Amino acid sequence: MLEARNLRKSFGELVATDDITLEFGKEEGELVFIVGPNGAGKTTFINLLTGFLSPDEGSIVLDGDDITGMSANGRVDAGIARSFQVVKVFEEMTVRENLRTVVLTEQGKTWSLFSMADGHEEVESQVEELVEKFRLEDAADTVAEELPHGDRKLLDVAMSFGLDPDYLLLDEPTSGVSTREKEYVIETIVEVGRAEGVTTVTIEHDMDIVTEYADRVVALHQGTVHGVGPPTMLETDDELRRLLLGVGDDE
Amino acid sequence: MPERVDRDGTPAYRFLGVEVTRREAAFLVLGVVFLFVIPDIASLSDSLQLSVIHQGLLFGFVAVGLNLLLRHTKLTSFGHAAFFGTGAYATAVLARYAGVQSVGLLLLGAIAAATVMAAIIGVLSLRHTGLYFALLTLAFGQLLYAIALGQSALGGSDGLPIRPGPANQPLLFGTAFSPDVYQVLTYYLTVVVILIGLFVMYRITQSPFRNALDAIGQERTRARFIGLPVRRYVWAAFVISGIYGGVAGGLYAVVRQYVRPEGTLFFLRSGDILFMAILGGFRTLVGPLIGGVVLVFLQDVGQDITQYYEFLTGVVLLILVYGFPRGIVGSLRSGGIVNARLSELRREPSVLSTWGRTAAQSIERKVTAALTSLRIILFGVD
Amino acid sequence: MAVTPTAALVQTLNGIQFGFILFMIASGLTVILGILDVLNLAHGELFSLGAYTAIGVFGFIIGIIGPPGDGVVGTAVFILAVLAAVLVTAAILLPVGTLFEAVFLRQIYDRDQVYQLVLTFTLLLILLDVKKFIWGDSSIRTDAVYSAINAIPTSELVGLNYPTYNVFVILVGSAVVAGLFWFFERTKTGRIIRATAIDREMATAIGVSTDRVFTLVFALGAFLAGFAGAMAVPPTSATLEMGTNPLVLSFVVIVIGGLGSLRGAFVGALLVGVIRSWMITLYPPGEIAAPFAIMALILLVKPEGLFGTWGETA
Repeated sequence: MLEARNLRKSFGELVATDDITLEFGKEEGELVFIVGPNGAGKTTFINLLTGFLSPDEGSIVLDGDDITGMSANGRVDAGIARSFQVVKVFEEMTVRENLRTVVLTEQGKTWSLFSMADGHEEVESQVEELVEKFRLEDAADTVAEELPHGDRKLLDVAMSFGLDPDYLLLDEPTSGVSTREKEYVIETIVEVGRAEGVTTVTIEHDMDIVTEYADRVVALHQGTVHGVGPPTMLETDDELRRLLLGVGDDE
Repeated sequence: MPERVDRDGTPAYRFLGVEVTRREAAFLVLGVVFLFVIPDIASLSDSLQLSVIHQGLLFGFVAVGLNLLLRHTKLTSFGHAAFFGTGAYATAVLARYAGVQSVGLLLLGAIAAATVMAAIIGVLSLRHTGLYFALLTLAFGQLLYAIALGQSALGGSDGLPIRPGPANQPLLFGTAFSPDVYQVLTYYLTVVVILIGLFVMYRITQSPFRNALDAIGQERTRARFIGLPVRRYVWAAFVISGIYGGVAGGLYAVVRQYVRPEGTLFFLRSGDILFMAILGGFRTLVGPLIGGVVLVFLQDVGQDITQYYEFLTGVVLLILVYGFPRGIVGSLRSGGIVNARLSELRREPSVLSTWGRTAAQSIERKVTAALTSLRIILFGVD
Repeated sequence: MAVTPTAALVQTLNGIQFGFILFMIASGLTVILGILDVLNLAHGELFSLGAYTAIGVFGFIIGIIGPPGDGVVGTAVFILAVLAAVLVTAAILLPVGTLFEAVFLRQIYDRDQVYQLVLTFTLLLILLDVKKFIWGDSSIRTDAVYSAINAIPTSELVGLNYPTYNVFVILVGSAVVAGLFWFFERTKTGRIIRATAIDREMATAIGVSTDRVFTLVFALGAFLAGFAGAMAVPPTSATLEMGTNPLVLSFVVIVIGGLGSLRGAFVGALLVGVIRSWMITLYPPGEIAAPFAIMALILLVKPEGLFGTWGETA
């Protein structure tokens, strides 16, 4: 279980997250969606959980161990992976090389100076598996910077899954993706996540997607937890609806 | 024995992890043979001196090491002369003060010293990236230069001669040779070291370690979030790259039997080393080595014809940056711009004047724009 | 070795004097780094070019007005003439900086960073030989300014034997510092430059021509370097390699002060100047290493430097 306890982070005058306490993965493989208007502190919250930022107050606990002071790469080893709102992949590598790099890292082989990067069979088979799962076969030998946007998003997510995480935190995996591809991206995430029992925490602006796929919804507003509940909360909580509709769509 | 493999339809051979097509194998053999016959060629011609080529190879070897950082982690070190100089001075000090006579031991000493130096400078410099990293490496390199200059034990600006044995020269295989033979033998030693060094570097650039470095160079944040302890990897690469400098520096001291701060540690040497990598093509393995030979040769010739050879180097650099940013090997391999330009020139020599005119026009435009800016700076907007 | 209070004071003043010179060099370098994202390796050469040029300009101007006349008026006229010469020298450096930025540097901003390093290195090499071509191999110097200004009594008035020229440098240096802070805090152009440093895209969006800001900043850096060269040269001589040490020490200053921070550059420069100066009496071999030791310490303890990043405050 991944817990946030009383997390607080401010940037100068601006309080980005204010005393957030939440827990994820009580049920293994749950799909949590984080919603909230712009500036609600969603990305900051993920940044805190993954070690991109360190909190001013509060702690982060993974399976009973305090990991608040753990380095970002240490948390990846501990099973927490993430993606970024803006696609961050290794631009000059092909899709396959991107995935290979991730899997080599995950399997702790990157300190090998004299083996062949493409000569580790167990790595290669996992790479091929990922390519297949995320339906990137046609693009496998294309350099990342030349991929169409949808494929870049998929590659980004595939890389996160390639780390074999227990917890996956996705920052708007569907932003900038066309409506048609959106479904495809999110379905792939849900499918692979379910199959591998990965607890995913996803920031999402599209309420249709949240309603359709979420096991649980966390609503943030002005750095605090507005509410936690089933997706039906989006229908029943009028204040939340007003918050989300008021400023939610102009991004 | 070499094993036959298939690379995208062309037959290739794989031996000790090195995979080459037939064409590449031919180039490889040719290159190695060429390296070995250079002493004979040099003895036939007055304009080609073995010592110049030898020095070019040694500096080029430092550039090969530097290139591990430049090509993969995208970090520009402007202080690689520090490791060259550390290797050279370590050799000199060992020979002079500790009485070490064997070339092998001297080189081991050079490697050890350069490793320690790279480890220390790396820890401090790698707290930053980009230009800040370049700035720090330059500063630390120049600190070593200042130290060598200021320490009388290191000979100050006069430098330090290596005089371990009665014959004034280190022993190869426990034997002292006559100066001429010594020259040639150390050259062959350099060639062997370089071939080993290139082989090791080739293997490193095929390994998972390279993937990690590439990841860090291309998207540092993501590299951290796939679980790479970024600074530790870059530090390791920095140390490896420093070792190349140390080996070359040690050989330099053994060959020259004299080390001076100006020729080994001064920051202009660091600039030269970086320049060699770019001149030869920093996206290639052997480019930096070729860049080294070409640059040292050019500077040697330049020194003979003009006292303004720094200017000459500068002009070559300008042409390189604007005309051939991929460097010699890179441009030849991609074939693109050089071949296109050459064939155009062969077909129609008058294009030269067209090129000249376009260049002149664009410079004229730039100058006009600059003068406008200057006027605005001095007199404000009117 | 016992250090008398007088000697300590003299060394401190020397350090402050050197610190001001260093600040003039480092401030330009740090602002160029902060705004253009360019590390100008030729900055030391611009400083050195200023020193060489100044010797000619001093000679020319003193040739016109002659040695300082008697009395307060004559002294004042001479000092003004020297200041004018320094300003003329710095102004000569303006077109050098402007042309280099607009003609060469601008074309490669979007390429790999290594190319702009190589390019400023090229400028360094070319300036080295340009100096050699114009002024020759051997060092040149002018005594007139140094001795004339030293003839003005200042520190003797308080019973201390200290060169008046150094006092002059400290005073002019303070004026430059004040002027720079005023420029960046109070003038419109200064604020535009800072806005560009904070957010380049935003600045473009509100109609700032970043091209012009870049050229301006580079020219300003060249101006300051030239100014520093002119102020630094009277007590010593101009040599071909004089640009290297100030360049490297400016690096140290920037690391200590913090990237692109003018305030940091000021504190760092004085710190480096004074520590270096103290070392000369206390422990001479430490003169070279001491600034670097501080730099290493800063890197380990506070890698971002004493004063965060530039832009928010000057």
